[in-house]
Amino acid sequence: MSASYLMKRVGYGLLLMLGVVILNFLLIRLAPGDPAVVIAGEMGGATEEMLESIREEYGLNKPLLTQLWIYVSGVVRFDLGQSFFFNQPVTTLIAQRILPTILLVITAQILSILLGVFLGVIASRKPGGVVSAFVSVFATIGYAVPVFWTGIMLIILFASILPIFPVEGMLSVKLRDANIFVQALDVLHHLVLPAFTLAIIYLAQYARLGRASMLEVLGSDYIRTARAKGASERSVLFKHALRNAALPILTVAGLQFGNLISGALLVETVFNWPGMGRLAFDSILRRDYPTIMGVLFFASFMVVVANILTDMSYRWADPRLRGKS
Amino acid sequence: MAPLLCIEKLRVTFRTRYGEVTALDSISMHVNEGETLGVVGESGCGKSITALATMGLIPSPPGRIADGSIQLAGEELIGANSARLRKLRGGDIAMIFQEPMTSLNPVFTVGDQIAEAITLHQNVSADRAFTDAVALLDRVGIPSPDRRARDYPHQLSGGMRQRVMIAMAVSCRPKVLIADEPTTALDVTVQAQIFDLLNEIQRDFGAAIILITHDMGAISEMADRVAVMYAGRVIEEGSADSILDQPQHPYARGLIDCIPTLGRAERTLKEIPGVVPPLHLLGAGCAFAERCAFNDRARCTTEKPRLIDHGHHPAACHGVEESRL
Ligand SMILES: Nc1ncnc2c1ncn2[C@@H]1O[C@H](COP(=O)(O)OP(=O)(O)OP(=O)(O)O)[C@@H](O)[C@H]1O
Ligand SMILES: [Mg+2]
Repeated sequence: MSASYLMKRVGYGLLLMLGVVILNFLLIRLAPGDPAVVIAGEMGGATEEMLESIREEYGLNKPLLTQLWIYVSGVVRFDLGQSFFFNQPVTTLIAQRILPTILLVITAQILSILLGVFLGVIASRKPGGVVSAFVSVFATIGYAVPVFWTGIMLIILFASILPIFPVEGMLSVKLRDANIFVQALDVLHHLVLPAFTLAIIYLAQYARLGRASMLEVLGSDYIRTARAKGASERSVLFKHALRNAALPILTVAGLQFGNLISGALLVETVFNWPGMGRLAFDSILRRDYPTIMGVLFFASFMVVVANILTDMSYRWADPRLRGKS
Repeated sequence: MAPLLCIEKLRVTFRTRYGEVTALDSISMHVNEGETLGVVGESGCGKSITALATMGLIPSPPGRIADGSIQLAGEELIGANSARLRKLRGGDIAMIFQEPMTSLNPVFTVGDQIAEAITLHQNVSADRAFTDAVALLDRVGIPSPDRRARDYPHQLSGGMRQRVMIAMAVSCRPKVLIADEPTTALDVTVQAQIFDLLNEIQRDFGAAIILITHDMGAISEMADRVAVMYAGRVIEEGSADSILDQPQHPYARGLIDCIPTLGRAERTLKEIPGVVPPLHLLGAGCAFAERCAFNDRARCTTEKPRLIDHGHHPAACHGVEESRL
């Protein structure tokens, strides 16, 4: 895989990020409502004098383009401004919350791909069989049911009927001072339900997609060749077929990553997971514009990075794409 | 001496939307050690199915071996357990397919694909297998084999890919090599090279070859004996010389008349009028009757002719049987 291609992709990614930043800024500034009033509201009461001084302090009285320039040049230095509500730099706020979100999103992504593809492969062995039918039904349900509903159902199930997984938060209070290993295990324990809730929609999709693309690949000539040289059924399925069937799955996984992040926002809210989703939720309720923009910035940053990674892994998986740009 | 590979009264059926159709109707053929058996017949007459049945690779469902026996060096293959069949496939019996463009797995290097065939049947290290693979590529006439071994199939031409397939097929010194129209997809100059290569391989490795082809020219150059198939039956069988000189069955005569001869007066190529009837429309009579110029007997449409020797070699035709026409 060529370094120049990677550079090109990163370059496009940066340009895209710049576009996102500008668009976010304009969308939020063009929305009705005066940020100064919102900030003043947080402080309680607003005389015209106070509003003036707030506008002065936050640079809101400068021309829009100047404000945009100030914001963008801040972003370039990773300065996303000051939160109206939390009264901290947005970068600090996000830094505190980005890791839980990344943990949740990546776990859900891996879980849904591995489990989904595995189900798909099993289903493809007997297209008319029980597993196959299960995958189809499960895929339809998984696709149709909203993620917060799944979350709430799981909370009901595990909070009262089968209390084996914690349904809230990321770390038990009593383990605040425990050693890092015990804490890590506890985080994983807390991670089970939110990750599964988030994974379930995509899991179903990957199972269906995996089944379809495996069925197609299993009918191809090179699979017959693999059998003709005496390869075992397991090697035929998981080595010869899956490597090829994985290509469309990779594409979809890359495309779904953005949806996964917005799904994480809901799941974090349902399970009180201390990630960026909660932050987004809180800052939207409070019209904390800099924080909203900061969250959007980081979410799109993650999507751009994920797309580049998808593209790279696609080239790794499909030799026919290597050396092309 | 008993033949090396012996197919007896093999019947293969397929479940289709017209009901169960018989793709192979009690066919028998055999091949001796070191010999080349040519199998000829128009598209759809069951040549590939015969080959796949021998490899134990009939797609099932919808296909099924309904009856008959296939013996390799006295060992019955029909009903043998799958582990045993896997050992034989690619080991004692190997096959080269009709479609070199799609018969290699696009995501593995050709060297790895040959090496896999070697490690599946021989107790050698992966490194050793790869070295052997390179030597085989050299043997089948691929220039700079150590570099080519690291290429992916899409980087090779059709002729090269077929050479790779041949290298893979002979990697474990099979006793029987089935070549299913190995040159159909290749251009004429390459065809001649591939046939030369097969001849050399047979000389060096001593394999018996079953050469499936439409090409009567190739038959006259390569085959010791010939089986002519039509609509799922063997309708004529004998030594290549005898069949080429004295074809009995009107269909075999038609095939041989179709061979273009250099310097012959007529400019146009002859062809047999009509097409092979679809399997589900086969009636009680001779499957060739509709296209036959000598179908004036009632028996031709009511009774299937049996394969009987009428002097030169066995043929299945009422006309030949009654009047030696
Ligand atoms: N999967 C299948 N389902 C139903 N019928 C099949 C299937 N595979 C093959 N057949 C039937 O079996 C018959 C023999 O097919 P086969 O592939 O052996 O022909 P062939 O002689 O190799 O022809 P060609 O020269 O085109 O390769 C055909 O009439 C075909 O319709
Ligand atoms: Mg064929």
